[in-house]
Amino acid sequence: MALLEVKNIKKHFGKTEVLKDISFSLDKGEVLAIIGSSGSGKTTLLRCINFLETPQAGVIAVGDEVLFDGSDPAKKKDKEIRKNRLHFGMVFQQFNLFPQYTVYENLILAPKLLAKEKLKAGETYMGESSYRAAVDKIKEEAEQLLEKVGLTEKRDEYPCNLSGGQQQRVAIARALALNPDVLCFDEPTSALDPELTGEVLNVIKGLKSSDSTMIVVTHEISFARDVADKVIFMADGVIEEEGTPQQVIENPQSPRTQAFLSRFNRFSD
Amino acid sequence: MDFLTVTNELLKGFGQNCLLFALTLLMAIPLGLVISMGSMSRIAPLKVFTRTVVWIIRGTPLMLQLMVVFYLPALFFEVNLERFHAAVIAFVINYAAYFSEIFRGGIEAIPKGQYEAGYVLGMKKSQIFFKVVLLQVVKRITAPMGNEIITLIKDTSLARIIYVAEMLLTAENIVAQKVIVWPLFYTGVYFLVFCGALTLLFRFIEKKLDYYKG
Ligand SMILES: Nc1ncnc2c1ncn2[C@@H]1O[C@H](COP(=O)(O)OP(=O)(O)OP(=O)(O)O)[C@@H](O)[C@H]1O
Ligand SMILES: [Mg+2]
Repeated sequence: MALLEVKNIKKHFGKTEVLKDISFSLDKGEVLAIIGSSGSGKTTLLRCINFLETPQAGVIAVGDEVLFDGSDPAKKKDKEIRKNRLHFGMVFQQFNLFPQYTVYENLILAPKLLAKEKLKAGETYMGESSYRAAVDKIKEEAEQLLEKVGLTEKRDEYPCNLSGGQQQRVAIARALALNPDVLCFDEPTSALDPELTGEVLNVIKGLKSSDSTMIVVTHEISFARDVADKVIFMADGVIEEEGTPQQVIENPQSPRTQAFLSRFNRFSD
Repeated sequence: MDFLTVTNELLKGFGQNCLLFALTLLMAIPLGLVISMGSMSRIAPLKVFTRTVVWIIRGTPLMLQLMVVFYLPALFFEVNLERFHAAVIAFVINYAAYFSEIFRGGIEAIPKGQYEAGYVLGMKKSQIFFKVVLLQVVKRITAPMGNEIITLIKDTSLARIIYVAEMLLTAENIVAQKVIVWPLFYTGVYFLVFCGALTLLFRFIEKKLDYYKG
């Protein structure tokens, strides 16, 4: 069974239809790359999956749990939404790190708040039932994550003292600190100088080998070809073409996909 | 009249200025926060109403507001407010309006991405406000609040228009009775010292918050 199931998502802002019936599914450990021209609805789709936008219709399910159902108002409650968000992680184009906290503090802030809340409610956090033990675990994991993204020596720096690439790697570690089922990236390298994109893409590649399930919206076509298991090409709020990188990128069938990719090939040649 | 007596008399007057200053700060800051919430409200009528009130208060002289608060109730409702109370009311309303605009500016300057980053990390609205946004707002408003608060101590002498026995009125009385001028100029020293201390305080806070940028 698929880990993530997205069915018939529809989203409009006023009269502008942005997502027109989007459906796809993703297995555990798979990497999905979403490509498409500007304004095709890629960001909106990720924001719907992370419950930053509420679709007008559709279903979002993780495992056998339905997280969102457009026809079920009970699924739209604040508390419900907040719990559901924890299934997903989100890495933004603009990093959005918390500037007043060090790298390390950025990583442990949300997990500590969550641990406190869960223990108060009589639940466990990461198998621990005392706050002290949970925090020890959170800290230990934060150190491991810093190592994973190669920023151990920047542990106590403030975001303003880091390069864009380093900031984005912190943002990735921060999202991973909550162990999401699916990690979403919205053009993670678009705000970076070209020479810094490599370090971020390499971190994402590294996550693939540790079996993270990921959705990456990207304009880096070669990255999508090399890393993704599945590629979706979006145009005007619909999935125009979907398949393996070989199918969609090497051998596109739709004229719109072909036109889009030929523009990129001209750049990279 | 010798120097020491004048110093003492003026100090008594300045006590009124300081009390007015402290009471205004104490009440105008929370009230300003409430007003800023109103002026950012999603409920359109509330927002329009709040912004109109703020516009009127900021668009008219504090001196006029002092007279309105003091004389109007007496004229129309036969309520006699105590002078000092009237001054506190006028100052609190006036400064709350100014503070509310500073708070609004500070809050609205926080990028939406900060809230969204909090949301996707499963944080509650209140957690995002207190753990993420608040310190950033404080950092942004320290300088304008410093300016406003320095203006406030100087503005307190406007209360003499409704005969609150603050320092400038005290000095004027001395000048009139003793036919000497220097006590009037001497009041400036008190303000200078007080403002100097405030300036240092705010410089200190700004330094404290300078450990990060953004
Ligand atoms: N909050 C909003 N209100 C109104 N319209 C919106 C809103 N958010 C997005 N849109 C519109 O939805 C459409 C899709 O936007 P979206 O940001 O999802 O595109 P995108 O594929 O991510 O584009 P890009 O490659 O430029 O990031 C655009 O036409 C945009 O103007
Ligand atoms: Mg986008």
